[in-house]
Amino acid sequence: MNDTAHDGRTAPVLALENLTKSFRGKIALDGVSFTVPKASLTVILGHAGAGKTTTLRLIAGLDQPDAGRVLLAGRDVAGWEPKDRDIAMIFDNLALYPNKTGFENIASPLLIRKTPRPEIAEKVQAMAKVLKIGHTLGRLPATMSGGERQRIALGRALIRTPSLFLLDEPLSSLDAKLRIELRAELRRLQSEHGYSFLMATPDFNEALAIADTVVMLRQGKVVQIATPQALYDQPVDRETARAVGAPLINILPARLDPEGKGLLISGWRLPVPGHLHAALAAAPDGFELGIRPENLGLADLSGADLTGVVSDIEPLGLKSVLTVKKGEPEVRVLVESATARTVAVGREVGLCVKFPAMLHAFDPLSGRRLTA
Amino acid sequence: MSIPKLELVSLAKEYNDGAVVAVDGIDLSVAPGETIALLGPSGCGKSTTLNMVVGLEEPTSGDIHIDGLSIVNIPPGKRNVGLVFQDYAVFPSMTVRQNLAFGLVVRKAAKDDIDRAVDEVAELLGMGGRLHVRARDLGGSEMQRVAIGRTLVTKPAVLLLDEPLSNLEAAARLTMRRELRRLQSEIGLTIIYVTHDQIEALSLADRIAVMHAGKILQVEKTSVICERPDHVYVAGFLGSPPMNLLAGEIAPGASGAAGPAFTHGPLTLALPADCPLGKGSYTLGLRPESLRLVPESEAPLAGTVSLVEFRGGDVVVTVDVASVKLDVILPATERPAMGQSVGVDFDPDSLVFFGGDSSRRLDVRPMGRPL
Repeated sequence: MNDTAHDGRTAPVLALENLTKSFRGKIALDGVSFTVPKASLTVILGHAGAGKTTTLRLIAGLDQPDAGRVLLAGRDVAGWEPKDRDIAMIFDNLALYPNKTGFENIASPLLIRKTPRPEIAEKVQAMAKVLKIGHTLGRLPATMSGGERQRIALGRALIRTPSLFLLDEPLSSLDAKLRIELRAELRRLQSEHGYSFLMATPDFNEALAIADTVVMLRQGKVVQIATPQALYDQPVDRETARAVGAPLINILPARLDPEGKGLLISGWRLPVPGHLHAALAAAPDGFELGIRPENLGLADLSGADLTGVVSDIEPLGLKSVLTVKKGEPEVRVLVESATARTVAVGREVGLCVKFPAMLHAFDPLSGRRLTA
Repeated sequence: MSIPKLELVSLAKEYNDGAVVAVDGIDLSVAPGETIALLGPSGCGKSTTLNMVVGLEEPTSGDIHIDGLSIVNIPPGKRNVGLVFQDYAVFPSMTVRQNLAFGLVVRKAAKDDIDRAVDEVAELLGMGGRLHVRARDLGGSEMQRVAIGRTLVTKPAVLLLDEPLSNLEAAARLTMRRELRRLQSEIGLTIIYVTHDQIEALSLADRIAVMHAGKILQVEKTSVICERPDHVYVAGFLGSPPMNLLAGEIAPGASGAAGPAFTHGPLTLALPADCPLGKGSYTLGLRPESLRLVPESEAPLAGTVSLVEFRGGDVVVTVDVASVKLDVILPATERPAMGQSVGVDFDPDSLVFFGGDSSRRLDVRPMGRPL
């Protein structure tokens, strides 16, 4: 066992150092480094193909890295068998034993480890209560709904207490509603028991809602590691800003006017927000302005920051999204539905920026967020 | 009154000699040019309903009318309904043009008519420049456009969409939602849209029919259904997060109390003396939007923050009040810590009551004033 300088008691549950992996000459992971602190929930967020599953498989020992190290509690686990890593991995669509009841499915990892029967019964009942599947314990998987089966699968994985849980899109095959309920349950379970979770998902809502830390993965590279709030409010680049948040952030080509007093966006003009002065002065060729749809609101035409014509109204229940156009540029604006009912497609409206300090500027070429 | 485009009359589907009731006698009337969403969780009967309209399944009882005429005895191919589902069923080796033309070729339409119809639909879908591309080289949202276009060329009386966007990535889904709204307004199609995702239903439908356990519980205009859910289940399904629902009892207050009280397990809420609701079982609805956190000493309810979900512009905070979990929506700037003790207050006018037996919304304000 290859102990390193780390002390097992204070080292993070997991540390990845420069993990690199190619498949048939194609780079899947390109120098991935991050850590998972004990008793935390870390989420790897990325589109399909970003390298999420590859990362989890390398941690679990199902694949070997080309370069870089996986450290579990400070120990390099190169060459360790998956079963020796003290990790549980939970996939989407976990296969259940079809001829075993819900109870037997959840209990199976404990049976293998020869846990005493009364202890098994107690643990399974407790787990079933948390996951709200007590009524399915006596039934076979074939008679359960998809959501019930997925919860049995979660229960089976969570009944063990390994030092690290890897969850690969565990909720993606579930109904919208069930997914939201179960992610809250997962979060509660994790925080109440002090479990260490590393979860992969393409769903930014999921990541923002439950993560302590989000690792943003894009094309095999880590582009940002941040708390959900920091990821949302200070995205490292344009792509990250677009990947996190709905409705989509508005990105508008803009430049400073010659006196440096206003932002010119095609036919629109906004005052330069103080926090962007220096950065924009250093971007003479223009930049891209990022405005979150909830940072815009309707205003009187006379006192508005921007004016334009409503080209689309998308109702989303208590909120609605207006699309407001002025010639070429258009912006999405998130408003209360009661407010949306006061306008109509084709109507001219005024818009105001609610929090100028929350405007972003991006380099049009690199996409990096410009900061002073 | 104009004849509905599509009408479902006491439509039912049972399996295993009635042991399983998938669709339990539903009635629904869809006007020409209307988009209606069948919204519900998996297993609620929405896809079975659609399959009966298409003709893939035969109703156990009830009837289906298109333009006032029963179609249940007409073979699926001749019903003039178009079905698009999530697995695009586009032929990968065919070009976009061949895919779009397929339905008409099968019907042995004249070549000129086919070309004209395909060009028209391709234009409508913004695929005019992509007609020569093979389907396997298309992106997910283009593929779904072709699937929809292939149905549109046959000019169906009713277009049925079964979770058509669920295989698309988030960004493509947004684009397609907008695309579908444009299509609806441009060609005035009558559409039944089946989904489990309330956001899709809300953004696309004129009216929403919420289904649960084979029944339609409420059909209501999209613009108001979130504000006026008529049934406990609908209230608990719509909204993100949905209304907090507490099943409990109203009983006369203890001696000295001004009015009756609502109790839900260990939680008690005093109601004013002139509350029009009598003794009995009710479900109380508290909207996450109308709850706020206040210092414990000033609050009618007090508890501990058990979960904080960040959503970007705002946060959803779950407060455990005794054994009850209450969701509260707050601005992202007012974020409490997990484990913090807080008080929860609400605007009395925002309380909603549902009948304990009927599960239906009661049109009274508990604070005495009628709605």
